[in-house]
Amino acid sequence: MEDIIQDLQKQARSILVPTGYFTPQTLLLLSIFSLFIAAALEYTEGPEFAAIRVLTTMSWIFFTVAVWWALSQAKDLTIYGFKVYPWIVGIVLCCFLFRPWRSEDRLRWAVSTWPLISTGVMALPMFISWDLKLKQLKNKAKKMLITTTLVNLLLSSWIVFHFRVQDWVLSYPSLLVRGTSDSAFIYDFVVDREQPSQGVELLDRMTDEIASQLTGQPWYQAERWLYTRQPRLEAIYQDALNALESPDESLFWRLNVAEPRQVDEAYWLDLRADWAGPVARNGEFYLEKSCKIFPVNQPRAVARQDDEPQPMTQIAQVNCGEDSPTEQFVTPPV
Amino acid sequence: MPLRMIAFQVLFWMVAVAIEAGILRQRLRLGFQTSVQYAGVTNLAAIVCGWIAFLVIEPLMTLTIKTQIINYILFNRILMNGWTTQTGAILLAIALLAFFGTFFIKAKGIELFLRSDNAWKPVAKKPQKLLRDERYARARGAGVEVSQSNARFTDTMIQANAASFSAVLGLMVLRALIDGWNA
Repeated sequence: MEDIIQDLQKQARSILVPTGYFTPQTLLLLSIFSLFIAAALEYTEGPEFAAIRVLTTMSWIFFTVAVWWALSQAKDLTIYGFKVYPWIVGIVLCCFLFRPWRSEDRLRWAVSTWPLISTGVMALPMFISWDLKLKQLKNKAKKMLITTTLVNLLLSSWIVFHFRVQDWVLSYPSLLVRGTSDSAFIYDFVVDREQPSQGVELLDRMTDEIASQLTGQPWYQAERWLYTRQPRLEAIYQDALNALESPDESLFWRLNVAEPRQVDEAYWLDLRADWAGPVARNGEFYLEKSCKIFPVNQPRAVARQDDEPQPMTQIAQVNCGEDSPTEQFVTPPV
Repeated sequence: MPLRMIAFQVLFWMVAVAIEAGILRQRLRLGFQTSVQYAGVTNLAAIVCGWIAFLVIEPLMTLTIKTQIINYILFNRILMNGWTTQTGAILLAIALLAFFGTFFIKAKGIELFLRSDNAWKPVAKKPQKLLRDERYARARGAGVEVSQSNARFTDTMIQANAASFSAVLGLMVLRALIDGWNA
């Protein structure tokens, strides 16, 4: 146990204690020092103190340069003879520039520009020497630089493309009703991802709203509602769309409401949501949910005379069924 | 993750490089390593230009075209509302644009490489000032060599580009056939 602690101490000392004035360790210590002062200032002065920002920025700069310096001296950081330190420095620089933990957008920027920034880190010593003089590139180095830049541009575009696809899936989740196993571009790590579309939620929300608007209303009111249903349904539909988790995909939904069917005294209202967007394997699909709207008799709340029967009134009841709708696939005629 | 796309991209790139390097070596008499290098880098440049164009243009598209793009990328289908003349024309235009774009990039790229290696013959050979006799000689056809060499270069590039495009197209057709066979 003691050995391990001593070992750790030695390791820490070799990382932290500088062997001379101009070494990466000096910068690392400076970075830790400014971070420490910044923390102390935040403790005493509160987080709104301007010097704290300056100090943390300084700390980042010291840290980046220290890492850069230390790694560029390390000789064994190669993969097949290719130096990889610019990509590690690139990570540190991206963290410094974008602070990717703050938001999703910043993370995206950081990851997509990482290959490019790393190329810059790699290219910089080729153009500028230590005493800040411009260097002329040799022909061979130039070719190497061009190739590396192109490869890193390609990596960046792949990353951006990945995020683009991610965006599509996030804004239009109903795309994935039948998974993406047909794609020649995407490989989904989740095997057989077939998730229910948002149409389920859409119709459930609509029927809930219809039920809450009609239940308990006098029957003649409900009949009038059904008679002038178009604008009301449209409003309910829009509200339900906007309440979806990803309202962007409302572009792809079409609502179809047939004329209410009358069975005995009750009306059946059939709601049908058609998916007009793309989906795998030629599947067009729709979801359907029906609501039964029927009258019930209820005693009227008036004082009752002994000799008369209880006056009754008809109020509306709505029954949309407990089950959520499922996707019905239409195979287009061949 | 766009892993399949990456795999296909690397595969197509290697096929294109192999074919183009062979043609460059045969017709421009470049060394084996140089021709592979030139073909590799110029193809890479063409791919990167294509990507940048796609990534810039895609968000600017209308919803219908975007839908088609999503349909193709996620579900490997092009036809959503049936094949129309318009779809065909757009696809054809894109294909032609891609072909001539890559041709331009590759020709310019290899020209630049040859220049930086001081191996660019067609232009380097052109003399600045000509004596009277030489001018007559040129007019009589001795200077044909220069323009011929230039034409030969362009010819080679077109040929290499066409060969690699056909090969990649063949691979894609093959893949579609196997897909259709499995389904």
